[in-house]
Amino acid sequence: MYLKDNKTMRNSYNIIYDLIGIFLFTGIFYSCKHKKDEYHSVTDKIEAESKNYHGTSISSDAYIGHIKTIEITEGEQTFLIPERKSQIKSYACTECHTKSLEKMQSKGFKKAHWNISIDHANENTMNCITCHDGKNMDNLSSITRKSIDFNNSYNLCSQCHTKQFEDWKGGAHGKRIGGWAPPRASMTCVNCHNPHKPHKPHFESRWPARYNTQKLKERE
Amino acid sequence: MSSNNKKWFSLDLNKKTDSCDCGKTSDGCKSSSNSYPHQSLHQISDADFDAAVDTEIANSYKKDGFEQVFDVKMDRRSAFKKLAASLAIGASAVSTSCSFIAGDESKEKSQIDWEEQFKGNYKLMSDEEKQATVDRLVRSYQLRTGKNVSMSSKNAEKDVLFGYAFNISKCQGYMDCVSACVEENNQDRNSQMEYIRIHEMKDGKGFNFNEADDNYYHEVPAEGHFYMGTQCFHCDNPPCVEVCPVSATWREDDGLVVIDYDWCVGCRYCMAACPYDGRRFNWSKPEVPEQEVNKNQHYLGNRMRKKGVMEKCTFCVQRSRAGKNPACVEACPTGARIFGNLLDPNSTIRWVLENKKVFRLKEDLGTEPKFWYFMD
Repeated sequence: MYLKDNKTMRNSYNIIYDLIGIFLFTGIFYSCKHKKDEYHSVTDKIEAESKNYHGTSISSDAYIGHIKTIEITEGEQTFLIPERKSQIKSYACTECHTKSLEKMQSKGFKKAHWNISIDHANENTMNCITCHDGKNMDNLSSITRKSIDFNNSYNLCSQCHTKQFEDWKGGAHGKRIGGWAPPRASMTCVNCHNPHKPHKPHFESRWPARYNTQKLKERE
Repeated sequence: MSSNNKKWFSLDLNKKTDSCDCGKTSDGCKSSSNSYPHQSLHQISDADFDAAVDTEIANSYKKDGFEQVFDVKMDRRSAFKKLAASLAIGASAVSTSCSFIAGDESKEKSQIDWEEQFKGNYKLMSDEEKQATVDRLVRSYQLRTGKNVSMSSKNAEKDVLFGYAFNISKCQGYMDCVSACVEENNQDRNSQMEYIRIHEMKDGKGFNFNEADDNYYHEVPAEGHFYMGTQCFHCDNPPCVEVCPVSATWREDDGLVVIDYDWCVGCRYCMAACPYDGRRFNWSKPEVPEQEVNKNQHYLGNRMRKKGVMEKCTFCVQRSRAGKNPACVEACPTGARIFGNLLDPNSTIRWVLENKKVFRLKEDLGTEPKFWYFMD
């Protein structure tokens, strides 16, 4: 009698254990899913749903039509940047610089560019001809004296500012022109930074555009 | 819009029994464009009115606006309130329709009020119904102010999921974004409502929102501080949507969390549920000087709101669905704000997510905000 009782008790314990096991097992399946969504997180969702991305009908074309742009390809990225030469007031430089720089520096010539002083790195590192080509004033020149077009002046900056260049190519540095939709058009370095005085005048300290007096009152 | 899926009964106040000189049998002679249809040509008597309402309700296979309003459990007080509001509109409609003095315009106005009162939830509307309500709102604005606005009801595009990234090393605290946002979204000028907050934080103290100043006024950037902007993060799993008792707020397919200002009852549950302080409430009637009103509007975005409803950042739905950047992104002089399509593997926002060290606020809550922060 006692033995039998013990046996049925053990059986009922087993059933309870089984039930708990089943609950836990099914629980694993259900708990991993958010309500209606089949993805665990939004990053999973982005990854999965963008696999079959074929583009959209939305375009930024209408918002960048008013500026002249050129297409560049740097690494894996191809995008538009504003054309530069037509924006430079006194381009082409050879209209004045008819001779090479050494000859024009001699006495008897009027001094030009009096309003440009260079405040970029220090005198040991940079002077005018670090970027400008003394022999062909219409083009810029790399550190190794390779010619660089004024339109692609970012190639000069990228010689030193490699990290910013990587971010800019990807789109983490700098500003988009037009909208978010393709085609991508981004400002180039000199649209925001003055290459002669790179820290000025664009990001000087100034007063904020707004002050909320109502918020101040509410919090008194 | 066919008659059997129309969600409200049309009063058709502008109908004339005989055709008028201009030869038109429908609409008043003066009213030029009425995009919503008219069905009955007879003048309404009370009996006809009731019969028409009955048949109209019987014909509709979807829940119409009236049912969406009244077929829910509610206490007597709110039922009477709603009934009273509807009756007031009905009464004014009847009085203008019976009056000989009232012109076509006032009749049209009360008809619009009537149809707007009994329209359904925007979320449940078909594209034609969305267009119709937008047309009514545009016409109503024209009748009230004599000015024209353009209002869109553009739906979410396929293969678009909007996302946002904010560079905390770039932001200088200029607040140009806040200004642009207020102007773009027709926010109330008196209460100085702002969707965006820029928090000035002390270096070395971490993201301490309690000690941060979100209403500074001194030259920026201030020494030893950094700046961090917050706004609606358009969570993929939004708690504000869960708590809304009337489904007046929801997540659109392109990820935008939007509000139907005409369906919102102003209970502010969503405001309490939002862990990011992203929602704002209209305590007073929002007012914008006429010359400053942004006339490029979207039903779910910057159209004029009323007193007692919630509103918040919509990633400028009127701009973003047209391919533009939100006003804050465009206004930022530092390039700290990046916006784009998360599903486009070549988009700049995707490059940021994949190549920078990004984080979100209160990630452990599982709200899945689509607003990432990163540093240079």
